[in-house]
Amino acid sequence: MTTPGLTSRRVSELGLGVLAVIIAAFGYLLVQLSQTPDVPPDLWVIFAGVLGLFVLAHFAVRRLAPNADPVLLPLAALLNGLGFVTVARLDPGLGRVQAVWTAVSIVAFILTLALVKRIRTLERYRYTFLFFGMLALLLPLAPGIGKTINGARLWVGIGPVNFQPGEAAKVLLVLFFAAYLVDKRELLASGRRRLGRLRLPEVRHLGPLLLTWGVSILIMVRETDLGQAMLIFALCVVMLYVATDRASYLVVGLFLFLAASAVAYQLFVHVQTRVVTWIDPFRYANDKGYQLVQGLFGFAAGGFAGTGLGLGSPKQIPNVATDFIFSAIGEELGLIGTVAILIAILLFVGAGLRIAMRSERPFSKLFATGLTAIVGLQSFIIIGGVTRTIPLTGVTLPFISYGGSSLLANWVIVALLLRISDDNARGSPARRSQIAARAP
Amino acid sequence: MPESVLTVLKFCFLALLYLFLWRVVRVVIGEMRTPEAPAEGSDARRERRTRRGVRLRILEPPAQQGELYSLGDELTVGRGGGCGIVIVDDHYVSTVHARLFRRGDEVLVEDLGSRNGTFLNGTPVAGATRLRRGDRVQFGQTVAEVVR
Repeated sequence: MTTPGLTSRRVSELGLGVLAVIIAAFGYLLVQLSQTPDVPPDLWVIFAGVLGLFVLAHFAVRRLAPNADPVLLPLAALLNGLGFVTVARLDPGLGRVQAVWTAVSIVAFILTLALVKRIRTLERYRYTFLFFGMLALLLPLAPGIGKTINGARLWVGIGPVNFQPGEAAKVLLVLFFAAYLVDKRELLASGRRRLGRLRLPEVRHLGPLLLTWGVSILIMVRETDLGQAMLIFALCVVMLYVATDRASYLVVGLFLFLAASAVAYQLFVHVQTRVVTWIDPFRYANDKGYQLVQGLFGFAAGGFAGTGLGLGSPKQIPNVATDFIFSAIGEELGLIGTVAILIAILLFVGAGLRIAMRSERPFSKLFATGLTAIVGLQSFIIIGGVTRTIPLTGVTLPFISYGGSSLLANWVIVALLLRISDDNARGSPARRSQIAARAP
Repeated sequence: MPESVLTVLKFCFLALLYLFLWRVVRVVIGEMRTPEAPAEGSDARRERRTRRGVRLRILEPPAQQGELYSLGDELTVGRGGGCGIVIVDDHYVSTVHARLFRRGDEVLVEDLGSRNGTFLNGTPVAGATRLRRGDRVQFGQTVAEVVR
């Protein structure tokens, strides 16, 4: 008899995870060696701590979701580890905070797995989650607790702890979209209104969704967080498309997006700034394009293989630990390093979509797609932004950027995906309840 | 630390990074080859499932919706307390209404002379009729689906 929960998937996970931990510790060692010739005394503490956290998460999965996908957890651990190394290299103080947030996130990961025994339980409380999602979006605007940092009002400060409730809102809204669209997708897919070759759904079926979208966008604009607004909108469109299998939503979504962008460009100076610095950053290299230009210099300095960890000068870039962390990695690990990050994110997204494809229940399928889309789209928005593929909008690079709320939200996403994956492996939830049902 | 050593270490680091990614890809390829649910850990469960085989899931009335009954070798349906599936609130169901039983690999349903009949996918059941997965069986106003 084997150890309970020890499947070959878990063996793969453990092996990959330990390798990820070794890579993180090795990176930390390299950063220290670039400054001093000695092996840092706290290396073993760091190594033991990171290993401990991973093993804790691994055993939680073994116990709570034994048949879940084996690659998600190690990939998240690798990205989190690399992020920690980079943040600690940029600012040891932030590194310590990030270490604490990592521990908190792992606890949240385990709690999510323990509390959400069945994914369909979540489906039932869709409107509760919508309420909390909206509340989370509105909270930073509340006087007293809301805080403005770097010109964006998306923070809530309670005592010494600041957090961004918008990070939680993304997950809650995806949950709501998934539950709502599962109910309404037949209606949404069977539009009778025609617009040229496109068949559009009745407006009233779209009402609540458009409302959700509009409110989100409005709040985002009030909080001047363009990245989040773009993310929520893109999530909305992706989930509509996946739920209904209608390309018309993509077209409609694109038009809505272009219209909203045009209006935002006319109305807001900061939007104009983002666009002009995107088109020609070097013209504004000393003022509004400074950050972007410094980021690009970082990539250039890194070249193919990078300067080596701890040997570049990424601190020249403002906000390098959050929005521009990808530039810091580009400078010190070069093209090889950044491509590795991209591959890791792609593998993560692939694993998420594989979980979605294998789900039998429509809600699980859509929810997994949405969760995966959060990570994928957010990575695209920020990496595209710092590499000047799209106009820069500040969102965090999942798992890597400094920022507790974001890290926490991402680990909750991993937990939820693993829960769905475990459900799939055991058969559909219906099948599971049959197993639970006793023969009369 | 001399720069040359650091450069070598940097490439070691990058190599480790790609080793990790390569091993993830290997695992993913393995995952893709196993089409559904892994065998490990659920062997016992699957065995139990095939042994117990077919189940009935109540669809109507809403009060009982989702209830599951597994068919052993035989399962009787009716209002009487001795039945395998006891339907309490449905006055169109007879005391002993119908039975489901196994013959070889097949599962069959048979009406036991009920007043209002037994229906398979909307047509009245006459004699023992074979059940397939997804079939809907109706006793009185109670509807159940055959699941596995």
